[in-house]
Amino acid sequence: MTATISLADVSKRYIKYDDTAVMARLWSRTNRSWLWALRDIGFDVQPGESVGILGRNGAGKSTLLSMLCGVTAPSSGRIRVRGRVAPLISVGVGFHPEMTGRENVYVNGTILGLSRREIDQRFDSIVEFAEIEKFIDTPVKFYSSGMFVRLGFAAAVASQPDVLLVDEVLAVGDLPFQIRCFERMNEIREQGSTIVVVTHNLGAVRGFCDRGIVLRDGRLVFDGQTFDAVSAYHNILGELSADEPGAEAQDTQAGRITSVEVLDVSRRPSAHFRVGDTMIMRIGVEALRDIDEPFVWLGINTVSGVAAYSDANVREPFPRLRAGEKAVYEVQTQLQLTTGSYSVEAALRYATGPGVSALVGRCAPENFYVTGRGFVHGVADLSGQFVVGTG
Amino acid sequence: MATDTTLGVATGRVPHPEEGFELTGPGTTPGLLVRELWASRRLIGVLARKDFLVRYRRTSLGLIWAVVLPAVQAIVLAVVFSHVIGATHRLGGVSGGPTTAYGVFIFAAMVPWSFFNAALAAGSTSVVDGTGLARRIYFPRVVLPLVAVGTAVYPLVITAIILLGMEGILGPEPGVRTLWMIPGAVLVIALAVALSAFISAAHVYIRDLRYAVQAALLMLFYITPVIYPADRLPLSIRHVVMALPTAGPVELFRRSIGAADQQWWKYVVGSLVWLVVVGLAGFVLHCRRDRVLTDRL
Repeated sequence: MTATISLADVSKRYIKYDDTAVMARLWSRTNRSWLWALRDIGFDVQPGESVGILGRNGAGKSTLLSMLCGVTAPSSGRIRVRGRVAPLISVGVGFHPEMTGRENVYVNGTILGLSRREIDQRFDSIVEFAEIEKFIDTPVKFYSSGMFVRLGFAAAVASQPDVLLVDEVLAVGDLPFQIRCFERMNEIREQGSTIVVVTHNLGAVRGFCDRGIVLRDGRLVFDGQTFDAVSAYHNILGELSADEPGAEAQDTQAGRITSVEVLDVSRRPSAHFRVGDTMIMRIGVEALRDIDEPFVWLGINTVSGVAAYSDANVREPFPRLRAGEKAVYEVQTQLQLTTGSYSVEAALRYATGPGVSALVGRCAPENFYVTGRGFVHGVADLSGQFVVGTG
Repeated sequence: MATDTTLGVATGRVPHPEEGFELTGPGTTPGLLVRELWASRRLIGVLARKDFLVRYRRTSLGLIWAVVLPAVQAIVLAVVFSHVIGATHRLGGVSGGPTTAYGVFIFAAMVPWSFFNAALAAGSTSVVDGTGLARRIYFPRVVLPLVAVGTAVYPLVITAIILLGMEGILGPEPGVRTLWMIPGAVLVIALAVALSAFISAAHVYIRDLRYAVQAALLMLFYITPVIYPADRLPLSIRHVVMALPTAGPVELFRRSIGAADQQWWKYVVGSLVWLVVVGLAGFVLHCRRDRVLTDRL
């Protein structure tokens, strides 16, 4: 099979001028610098594959997506895309607020490369999918944002793309529509189209993609199974997390984390829990200098990166550690969570004053799965009691 | 492969083997650019039509405004020059020859000038102004100036029809020479395309061009023989005017009312030189930078 998408040694640099005045640019070349958005990226994607691209902001995801759209060329290397590309980044691209839904579908379809007859043929199914029969002859400025995205999505997928590029757009729209979008994308994939998803919604990546590519500072650091890609992405997030107080102060010379274990209540390693189970995070540490008030920070995140819980024993720190001393700390938590994948991570810190602390070390996130009670949705399971009241 | 899914089930899905791309650098080959441009011809028409129609959407009179505005200009010119001032222009510059109303004389030149002015003002900044669309989906970037020029063709047709009406009322009666409008219109459209294509790409790198173009248009309005006859100029200045891009179409439209300079073809040659030189430069520039033009926005 021939690859639909093929990248070989693709690098992209942008020129960054500190002074944009044309005279200054002509006379001096010193005030410009290169900004490497991508370095030596290479991978192939086969028809029918769906790939999730993961990475922090600024890792090069958007640049990569622009190249797959064809709107920008690599500075070196080669990129080849076979067939028709429909970028879902462009949901509602070219939609004019003063024009009706009908007119916009025709303009948008033309932009995506459809002939007038092709649009005629698909028009009814587009309107049906978008559920806007009543509003199709209303200017789109009167549409709700949900209607706008529904029509845009319906128009984009109607072009029967060989390559569908999906950005964060699916975050818009209500849940039933999101589900239908994923169903539709699955259909498209089963028909042999390639789908590339760029999102921070790790749940969506895990549920939809069979392959994950992780970018970091413009370089490809992981390419493989989605589950492992999500872990690799978590590792990157773990290196520099901002959701923790005083994350900027670091003192990695003071000590290090030597081991991390996720245990169940009988102290056996586990990655699968039931709602209400006790999870024990066991952290081995070693002090390289004296640490007066060591404490542990623990955070549990959902797969989509939402913080479910974080805590630290900053007010009741562990006993003082002498240089060279080893210790084992345990954090017990009750997993009052709903069904889904989570990650837990921990950090060793010490207080440097009231409300401020320094980071000594941080462990890579560990993934675990919780089987929750049926019908319970959300992040936390607050064990609601449903009773008939008196009086 | 077309009808086989990963599950091996026939779906009848039509693939698009003719589409897709291979990128190795900032440019594209001339042949490929021409092919892609040809494939985008309907897109250009649809976008130009949309941009023209959308202008009048919220108004209660709608498209009538597209006719009313140039009609008002025609009426003002007719009243001021033909009735208030009473100026006439000697046809063919021959003393004692037939004369034409000065209002018609000016309006005939205003038809290509107004088009050129509008097309270039929008066209020269079209790539930068079209970022929203151009950054999300690929089409040859030269489509953007073409759409801008295409949008201005609608008013060009409307003003040309108003000119015919004016001739019917004030003379000279439309006749075979009226057909000179056609090469005039073709030439001014081609010039607008060539200049817009070149400037719109250069404008991405030199943002001063937005204002430089406005200044140039302001100057061109007065040095192109729009509001005065070319044959009144001293010969030395007339040679400068012949080198202007805009003088050719203006003289062709003047010829359609039988009021061109006797050496009208020299102005046309001047315009043709501009057309070829700038057209080629624009084509080369787009070939070399097509795939990176939106990087600097």
